[in-house]
Order: sequence, then C-alpha cells, then structure tokens
Amino acid sequence: MNFALLSMTLPLMTALVLLFIHRRAGSVVIIASLMSLAAALAALYQVHLFGVQQMHLGGWQAPLGIRFQLTPVNSLLLVFTALVHSLVALYANYSRHSITNTTDFWPLALLLHSSLAALWLSADLFNWYVTLELLGLAAVAMVALSGPKAYRPALHYLLLSLAASLSYLLGVALIYGRYGFLDIALLADVTQADATTQAALILMTLGVMLKAAIWPLHLWLPSAHANAPTAVSALLSAVVVKGPFYILWLLWTEVAPVELAQTTGFFLAIAGIAALIWGGWCAIRTPYLKVLVAYSTVAQLGYATLALGLLLYWQQTQLLVALWLFVIAHGLAKVSMFLVAGEMQATLGSKRVTALKGATQTMPVAMFAFSVAGGSIIGLPPSGGFVAKWTLLQLTLASPIHWPWAVGILIGTLASAIYVFRVIVISFNRADPLAPDFSPDRFSHWLAMLPALMAWLMAVVSVQLIQFLGGLP
Amino acid sequence: MTDWLFDGVLVSLLLALAIASIFTKHLFNSIMLYIAFGLLLAITWARLGAVDLALAEAAIGAGITGVLLLSAYAQSNSDNDQLQKRQMPWLAFAFLILILIWLIQAVWSLAGHSTTLIDLSQQALPESGVSHPTTAVLLNFRAWDTLLELGVLLLAFLGARQLAIQPYKLPTSWPLLTVWSQILAPIIVVVGGYILWRGTSAPGGAFQAGALLAAGAILLRLTQIIPPLSWHSLWLRGLVLMGVSLFILVAAATAFWGDAWLQYPLAFNGLLIFSIEIAATLSIAATLTWLVVGERRTLHP
Repeated sequence: MNFALLSMTLPLMTALVLLFIHRRAGSVVIIASLMSLAAALAALYQVHLFGVQQMHLGGWQAPLGIRFQLTPVNSLLLVFTALVHSLVALYANYSRHSITNTTDFWPLALLLHSSLAALWLSADLFNWYVTLELLGLAAVAMVALSGPKAYRPALHYLLLSLAASLSYLLGVALIYGRYGFLDIALLADVTQADATTQAALILMTLGVMLKAAIWPLHLWLPSAHANAPTAVSALLSAVVVKGPFYILWLLWTEVAPVELAQTTGFFLAIAGIAALIWGGWCAIRTPYLKVLVAYSTVAQLGYATLALGLLLYWQQTQLLVALWLFVIAHGLAKVSMFLVAGEMQATLGSKRVTALKGATQTMPVAMFAFSVAGGSIIGLPPSGGFVAKWTLLQLTLASPIHWPWAVGILIGTLASAIYVFRVIVISFNRADPLAPDFSPDRFSHWLAMLPALMAWLMAVVSVQLIQFLGGLP
Repeated sequence: MTDWLFDGVLVSLLLALAIASIFTKHLFNSIMLYIAFGLLLAITWARLGAVDLALAEAAIGAGITGVLLLSAYAQSNSDNDQLQKRQMPWLAFAFLILILIWLIQAVWSLAGHSTTLIDLSQQALPESGVSHPTTAVLLNFRAWDTLLELGVLLLAFLGARQLAIQPYKLPTSWPLLTVWSQILAPIIVVVGGYILWRGTSAPGGAFQAGALLAAGAILLRLTQIIPPLSWHSLWLRGLVLMGVSLFILVAAATAFWGDAWLQYPLAFNGLLIFSIEIAATLSIAATLTWLVVGERRTLHP
C-alpha cells in the first residue's frame, strides 16, 4: 500500500515545491512522473503477489474514517495514469510546439496526477466528491491555459462540472441520511431498492455521467478538449474523463441493489450505443482535426459505457475486463492521436482536416503514429482495442438474443473506421501536398508514436492482463 | 407558537430572497440580495443547531463570496448588466416543480432514520486530541477530506491565476475608511485567532478564522495600508502553500514512520491538529485575500 501512497504523494509534493520556488522546470516534472510510475508498478506487483489490500486512514475503522483499497483494477489505473503523465510531460518539455512551457502547466499537471491517484485509491462516497472537485478544477484551469479564446469553453466546463458535483453531492447526502455510512463496502450489504436509494443513485449517476461526458451529457467535451493546449487535451481525453467513470462503475457494481442495477444497465447500454453512433457521426462530419479526435473520445467512451451497461444488465462480472481494457487502450491511443494532431496543426498552420493533404510525404512519422493509434481505436487485431472489443463481443455473440447489441458494436466500429480512414486518405493525397510552415519536429513525432505502440503491445500481454483483472479462470 | 412564527418568517424570507436574487433585473441588486440570502441562511443553520455551519456560512457564504461577486462585478463591463429576458420560463418552472416533488418524496422517508455514526464519533472523541466533535471529524477522523479540500482551494487559486483580466483600478479610499480599518484590523486578528483557538473545544476553526482574517486583510489592502499582493513575493507563496504542505508532510511522515496514513501519534495529536489548523488558517486567509484583491495578469489590448 505504501508504494501506491508514494505514487500519489510524489507529484503533489513536487507541485508544491515547484510552486514555492516559482520555477517552471519540466525536467523535474518528468523525473517525478517517472518515479511515480515506478512506485505504481511496485504497487501493481504487490497486488499481483498478495491480492487486494486495504488501509484505514488515520487508523479509524470504516464507518468513522475513510478507507483506501488497492485492487487489480485500480493498481492498473495507477500505472496507466503515471504512464500517461510521464509521456505527456516528456512531450510538453521537448516539443518545439508545446505552448505550455511558459505557463503554470507543470504544477497543474502534477496536481491533476495526484488527484486522479487519490480518486482511484479511495472507496468512500464523500471523499470521491472532493476528488471530483479537484479533478474538475485542475482540468478547467488547464483548459484556460490556452488564453482568452479558451475562456468560454473553460467556463462552460466549469459550470457544468459544478452542477454535476452538486448533483453527486445531493445523492451522497441522501445515501448518508438513509444508511448513515459512506464506505462502499459497508453500503453494499445494506442498500435496498427503495425510493430514497433510487433517487440518490440517479442523482449521483447524472453527476458522474456529466463529468465523464457520457452520451447524452457529452456536449461540453468537444469544445473544451479541442480548445485546450495539445498536452492538456491529451491528458483530459486519456485520463480525466475516466475518473468519474471509475466511480460510476463502483457505484453500480458495489453500492446499488441488483434489481436497480439491472434496469439502469439496460439504459446505460443504450446510451453507449447512442454515443458510438452519434460521436462517430459528428467525428465524420467535423472539418477540424482536434474536434474530430475529441468526438472520437465521445464515441469511444460509448464502448466503455456499453460494457458497463451490459455488465449490469446481464450481471456478468467478467465484463469488467472488457470495460477496463477499453479504457486503457483508448487512453493510450488517444494520447498519441492528440499529440499528433497538435503537432501537425502547429506545423501546417491550419486546424482543418483538409490541410493534411500529402502529410504522409511531409510528416511520415506523425502520420504513421496517427494510423497506428487509429488502428487500435478501430479495434484492428492485434491491438489493445481489439482485445477489449473481442472480450466484449465474445459474450455478446454467445447467444442469439444478444445479437442486436453486437450490431450496435459493429456500427460503432464502422463509424470509427470511417473517421480514421478519412484522415488517412486525405494524407495520402500526394498530388497537391500542403507545405509545412517550418520543418517538422521529428522527435515529437516519435514521442507521439510511443503510446500508440504501447496500445498495440497490450495485445502481446493480453492474457496476463485479462488474468490479472480476473477474467480468465 | 413564537418558534413557529420565527421559523415561518425565516423560511419565507429565504425563499423570497432566493427568488428575488434570480429574477431581479440588475446584476448589482442581484448580488446584494444574494449576500442578504447568505446571512439569513447562516441564521437558519444556527436555528437548526448547526453552529459550525452557521459560522462558516456567515464568513464564507455571505462574506467572502459576496466580496468576490462584487469585485467580479466591478471588473465586468457594467454597460450590459441587464439580465436577458427568458423565453420560456413556464417550461423550466414546470420541470423544476416535477424535480422538487421527486426530491421531496425521496427525502420524506428519511425523517425517522437516525445514524449510529454520531455515537461512534462520541466514543472515539477522547482519542482524537480535541473535544469538539466537528473539529475531530474534520482534522482527525476524516482529515484526508480536509487535506484535499485545502488542495481544492489551492487549485481554485491557480485556476484564477491563469485568467488574464481587463485592467481596472481600485477606487481611492477616503480618510474615514483608512482610520476605521486601522482600528478594525487588530480587532479582526484577535477575533480570528480566538475563533481558531476555540475550534478545539467549541464551534469554530480554520475555515471560519481564515475567512475572517481575509476580510481584515482585504480591508487593509483596499485602503492601501498593506502593499500589493503579488505571486512573485516569497511571503505570499509561502503563506498560500503552507497549509497543504504541512498537512501532506504530516501524512507522509505518519505513513512511512508511523502506523498509517494520517494516524497521529497519540501523545502529540492535539498539538499536531492545532499546528495544522494554524497553517491552514493562514493559507485560507492568504488565498481568499489574493482572490479578491491580488495582483492579476492583465489583458494586453
């Protein structure tokens, strides 16, 4: 457990020191993120050796104090968060086009990292509220880093995020009034399907759905993610929206009574399918590259929502493997896509997709990274996206009554293939290439390739991953 | 009978002020009504027996929030302060009534429930190092929440720091205000310190004391008795960061050398809680003061 705490504390302490000495030292942030990654890996190994671990903060037992838990899922998420933060810090420090070097990006990114780690570790409804606030404020402040043009999306994000927090908090208050506990393990034994519990769960669900940008509450996401600086967009899409999703998952699998969970599961699954189709459609239609990538996040979150919905609807706990593999594969691929999009946008001097004409010629490495990441987003074998989709499809195809869901998944896949190939086809138009404004930054292109390759590497270790998450017997 | 009369008047005034502050035409009137609403809400909390909440609501909800709103109003261009005419208020109204009915039927059944947690916290109180249950919950039983709340405040500060605003000038102060605030400042420091110290045994504590100190500092800054608060000053940075820094250092020390994350050694718990509270008070005061009257980045036209 101490390694997990170390992984959470290191970024926070580094942020405080950086703020105090008033330096914008990217190299320090990279070292802190890498050390946090090492600590998270050690925590993961501990879970592998000894299983689930608990810690009562302050030594107070659960109803009185707050409980931390370290499970296979959240230890993997800790590693994933630290990995994404390290990659983004490397990019933000070494890319020529990174505009975040002269801003408060570094302490904010570190605080965001700590808040996420605190969210993963916690198992307490009220403590989650505080971590959600931290997450929301850090994300809004980082969107505002790109200057006055981003103030409007940042303000929308802030207001919606606050409304979502209040809705969640009201739900927590109702649960506390009804049962007198806030710890999810204690609540799991006592919750009943009465009117109060139902209202509380709906309020909390609406809150986290708005924060996780799950369809139909996703409308704030594209403008906020597309207007943020490149490094920030990558962080927001890859990890920030996954935080509320983790709460949603534990809320319905642990706290909610089974009969309520089944009905909600059906609606969540429908919302997932709708997100796949709607997000895909918007990504196909948009003329701007970063907006395309942002809508792709809306669509891809649909897969995770669908997996969660079906998990609850059928009460098949092994679907959690599909759910979290989706989240991690999408996160890695999305970091790569946003970094590439930001790099190409800065090099070409245009935000439009059509500006990429001939990009395979002028920026081959960046285009290759985009295609590799896109392959995992579509779910081409053998990538992480494929493994996740396959674990979901296996259960769906097992009996004919479930086939309509499979149709939804396939339509979503088709949509993602269209928007990824739309970009690739334009970039192969070598007849009339658009010359870059200045010479491309090769190092950043290779850096953007790294997470995409990791998403494909997930397929190599898929058996171990699935076993670790408890999927295979 | 008089109780019912008092409560009835309080609740109807609350509702009237809330509705008025939403529907009034001018933004400035709306802010004023909102401050009055905050004060009445503080009385309501006191009436319900939640004295801690009443103090916090009066200091933060009505006081600091009101000043923040007013300073935001001063920075916005006041030409277009007419609120927009709403197109379909009835639809929104009907929707809200439905939500209200739904929430009331969810809350109604809670009347009979009582929680065992209050007894548990009373039993654990002697080991917590303080004798006031609210402080024990905030600084010991659920100290992690409070640490993160200080982080929320720090992030709010950092977020506000990113925004470049239209340059605007503070009004010059007239002599009476200057003299008056010179008399008021030491009193505020004493009262703030008293509220902080009282927190270990009775309602009071870091957030309320911090808000009070901030009010004093804002007054002194507006009358230009203290110099501008710039982030380049080491003092301001130290003050803003010290609360969360001390807290996280204690947490890390207890985790790596002690028994568990934030488990204070039994002999020192009162002392540790009090030093954390002092640091937190100063941080809260510095942050809130900066948010209202700090030196901000300005837009270059």
